[in-house]
Amino acid sequence: MQGTEERAGEAEAADAGGAVGDDAAPVWLRFWPLLLLGAAIVPGVVLYFGGRWLETPVMQAWRTVCLAVTVQALPFLLLGTALSGAINAFVPARVFSRVLPRRPVLAVPVAGVAGVVLPGCECASVPVANRLIGRGVTPAAAFAFLLSAPAINPVVLTATAVAFPGNPAMVAARLLASLGTAWVMGWLWLWLGRAEWLKPAVRHGGHQAGGSRWREFRAGFQHDFLHAGGFLVVGAMAAATFNVTVPRSVLDAFSGSLWLSVLFLAVLAIVLAVCSEADAFVAASLSGFSPVAQLTFMVVGPVVDMKLIALQAGTFGRAFAIRFSAATAVVAVLFSALIGGALL
Amino acid sequence: MRRPFQTALLVLSGVGLLRVSLFTDLYLRYVKEGMRPLLIASGALLILLGVADAVSYARRREGDDHADHDDGGHGHGHSGAPRAAWLLFLPALSLLFYAPPALGAYTASRQPPQAVTHEDDFDPLPAASPLPMTLSDFTRRVQQDRTQVIEGRTVLLTGFVTSDKGGDSWYLNRLLISCCAADAQSVKVRIHRTPAPPANTWVAVTGTWHPGGTLGTSSAPVALDARAVEKTAKPANAYTDALPLPLTR
Repeated sequence: MQGTEERAGEAEAADAGGAVGDDAAPVWLRFWPLLLLGAAIVPGVVLYFGGRWLETPVMQAWRTVCLAVTVQALPFLLLGTALSGAINAFVPARVFSRVLPRRPVLAVPVAGVAGVVLPGCECASVPVANRLIGRGVTPAAAFAFLLSAPAINPVVLTATAVAFPGNPAMVAARLLASLGTAWVMGWLWLWLGRAEWLKPAVRHGGHQAGGSRWREFRAGFQHDFLHAGGFLVVGAMAAATFNVTVPRSVLDAFSGSLWLSVLFLAVLAIVLAVCSEADAFVAASLSGFSPVAQLTFMVVGPVVDMKLIALQAGTFGRAFAIRFSAATAVVAVLFSALIGGALL
Repeated sequence: MRRPFQTALLVLSGVGLLRVSLFTDLYLRYVKEGMRPLLIASGALLILLGVADAVSYARRREGDDHADHDDGGHGHGHSGAPRAAWLLFLPALSLLFYAPPALGAYTASRQPPQAVTHEDDFDPLPAASPLPMTLSDFTRRVQQDRTQVIEGRTVLLTGFVTSDKGGDSWYLNRLLISCCAADAQSVKVRIHRTPAPPANTWVAVTGTWHPGGTLGTSSAPVALDARAVEKTAKPANAYTDALPLPLTR
């Protein structure tokens, strides 16, 4: 209020000055009463109509669904990021490299299984994989770990069991399909991968000498939570938009054909980018689709999605991220169809 | 995102979660009852994290004022949270000040009725009249119970109203969730012979089965000829298909 009055006073003075001297006063100053009026009315009108708009049934349903996905996922996200923060601070990375076999072909499956110990979502596994490469772990093994960790850790599998009550086959299928994808991608990298696609590893995170481990844990926890939480909200918004706007008939059109629905949910998983700790709940909400399609959603989501591609491009370089994500998406869809067809 | 904002975000999210789970039961609009302890723990943890962050921030500033500590630059890799974190303010503030209502008519009217679970053995119906029933139970009695005991019985159902465009009947609905509000599915009963109340109103309907098809098979309409429609209070947990409370007269 004070500011407005002051500006009004200045404008008046300028106006008077302009009238006495030359007429060089800027045009907008001559209309200052109009500007004042606008400044008073526009925010009120925007607030009023914005509020009215938010109160329409569509927007109310959107806000409820968006908040529901977020609230449901937050405890799981906190658990995951707390544990990843603890591993980041208290478990030295050399433990991982000591556990792995020397031969890369054997290191890949071991690293894939080792993904169980990093209960985080995909955002947490990218920096860890990067650090593993920095400590001399073969990239193929690090990538198998990167792909399996967000999909097969206990937190994610528990969330899957909660989201699909009374359906343990879904949990088993998710475990097998994700693990298979991670192994095949690791071996593919050994076969076809080229080191020059990777940009020189940037080391960050991890325990550094001199700082207290507790502080390192807290900082890592907080960073991972804020990072993943922000992306979680993006995913919740996309999911809510989808939930509220897409008519049931479109879903039915896709859910009618098995292959179309599998491909459709694979694309949806990439676009929605829901954190792997929450994606089982989103998959369960897509109840019009076949279990195989739902499985595809949960297998593709943790290994390829928009935020993961962005994270990989930032960490490993764009040349790598594009090739790796495209190949991973294909492998993941094939594995979901195979395992899902056999188990579900 | 700068440190003070991170602290504020953590504390606000924590307080928001505690508000909907510990101090009120607003969380029932979004998730199932069993999530309550997890939500309370998460809220407390977030507040703790925020306070710890504020303390360490204050200490670091003090340290910087007095002397250049050896770890003055330590931890900078973590201090910059990504821009996406700003979005967390939306759910945090929404939980605190602007909690949206439970899903209702808009969602229910866009969904086909959910297939109810199948049952083979039916107990005899209690003798009470009107007989309070859940919408799922009524659906099963009409479409699965071959003994046809529901015929001619006066039942009492509660739910919220959605209109049926271009018909003289309307729907009584309940929304059921298996995990969170994003997976809500509806169970509905068509109501005949009374004008539709405004959409989203919670009502208790007394009436008898609306005849049609063969009772006890899927050709029978899940519908009711209403005798009385009364407004009723919205239950605290709207996402259940609970038995209606007996009407007090």
